[in-house]
Amino acid sequence: MKRAVLAALLLFAVPAHAEDLVSGISQDIIQITSNYTGTNIVVFGAIEQAQNAQGRNIVVVVRGPDEPMTVRRRDRIAGVWVNSDAARFEGLPAYYYLASTEPISRIAPPQVLARYGIGLQSLTPTAIGSHHDPEPFRQAVIRFHRRVGLYAESPGSIDFLSETLFRTRVPVPAGVTRGQYNVEVYLIRDGEVVSAQSTPLFVDATGLERRVFNAAHESPFPYGLACVFMSMLLGWISYVLFRRPE
Amino acid sequence: MEIYLPVAEMSVNWLVLVALGTGVGFLSGMFGVGGGFLMTPLLVFTGIPSTVAVATTLSHVTASSMSGALAQWRKRAIDFTMAGVMLVGGIGGTLFGVWLFALMRRQGQMDLIVALTYVLMLGSIGTIMLRESLAALRAYRSGATVSRRPVNRGWIQALPLKMRFRQSRLYISVLPPIAIGFAVGALSAIMGIGGGFIVVPAMIYLLRMPTKVVMGTSLVQIIAVTSITTVLQATSNYAVDIVLALLLISGGVVGAQLGVRAGAKLRGEQLRMLLALLVLAVAGGLLWQLIVTPADLYSLSEAAP
Repeated sequence: MKRAVLAALLLFAVPAHAEDLVSGISQDIIQITSNYTGTNIVVFGAIEQAQNAQGRNIVVVVRGPDEPMTVRRRDRIAGVWVNSDAARFEGLPAYYYLASTEPISRIAPPQVLARYGIGLQSLTPTAIGSHHDPEPFRQAVIRFHRRVGLYAESPGSIDFLSETLFRTRVPVPAGVTRGQYNVEVYLIRDGEVVSAQSTPLFVDATGLERRVFNAAHESPFPYGLACVFMSMLLGWISYVLFRRPE
Repeated sequence: MEIYLPVAEMSVNWLVLVALGTGVGFLSGMFGVGGGFLMTPLLVFTGIPSTVAVATTLSHVTASSMSGALAQWRKRAIDFTMAGVMLVGGIGGTLFGVWLFALMRRQGQMDLIVALTYVLMLGSIGTIMLRESLAALRAYRSGATVSRRPVNRGWIQALPLKMRFRQSRLYISVLPPIAIGFAVGALSAIMGIGGGFIVVPAMIYLLRMPTKVVMGTSLVQIIAVTSITTVLQATSNYAVDIVLALLLISGGVVGAQLGVRAGAKLRGEQLRMLLALLVLAVAGGLLWQLIVTPADLYSLSEAAP
């Protein structure tokens, strides 16, 4: 939300004759159904009042809803690996994907990247409670998400269809969380963000999956009874089906 | 072949889960156990979060126990009075177990507690069973008959609050059945098991119930405890996945029938020895996971509520 406001402010702040950006996404809702195994969305855009292509870069960032996360470190106690130390973070997205024309370290200086939250190393969560050294825990969150494909940086993955028209394919893997995602497109020239646009993307479960999830969380008692009833019914059916004649 | 599990919030291959249900069902039919002790660790191995694995396996145990209990009920081999008395302790035990489960989950020690409980329970029971079955096999070969060592029941007879259990032809205190019920209820909530492998020996060796009513009565007790635990897990941990349960049960009920037929071809001592080896293998696998250095020392878990 904060970033969307920032992007909007930026749009108005830019003088009319400067380079500008128009972007869109192939779909603004991703439905998670029973056979959902991940999908791709296409983010596309055009540069208006284009100037010299030299020194101009495009960065696309897709970020999922923030989730509180707890990271635990295991230590060996009496020969057994036990969770001993933990750090809790807030403000880390459940999903983060970055596509750019070049490796981001070459696109802009670290302070600019940090200000706009561009790049995995710019993810700076707040540690809840005090932890003397949260950094290795933060790195562990990033490492874990990268391993399962929920965090990724993909430099050089933006295709230019013409001088000013570009697109990129964003993978949305099976393990994504439901909620509001944001697709941010940045136009960066000589290390400064000159234009930015943000579009919301919704990931939601539909149909039966959604109803089951809602039932389990909103009316857990009848849901639990339904599970028990189903088990007993199936047990009874199997008894009747396989009963040996006497 | 992927299917989305709405409560576990992940996609899994449903064929793998049905196969898992069939395999565990086969073994449980063959050995006459609920199979929860195999199902929970196997689900965890396939990547299901251990909270969901523990809570959902209970549904599988309810279904397979229901099937078995109906067969015993037909033979009038169920002591409902005994099952009812044990359930009094069982309710207290499940409440305690679910409370402990939620506490451990908040502390981040869920996986450790589940794994340690499994290693201890399965390790000790597997060892006892293996020794007993080997002794029986040896005796069978030498042509002798083994007499089960009599258990001193003096202290059990001395307990107050005696009650008559007509079906079991017993006149004993209600306290031991209540205590057994409590212990099994607590273990059921923490381990996701029915507890047949504890209830059955306890009924035979401690309560001295006649063998013919033991199977049916323990199944009724297991159905009751797993049902209550399922509802409690659903309401306090939101960890029961009905789609996962359906997949496991579908495979499980078929596997159980095949297992019963296969088991009929083997001798009792051989069956017990195989089951003991299986139990020890599961315990060994879990112990190995606890002591081998993990690939990543850090692990991510959902934030405690």
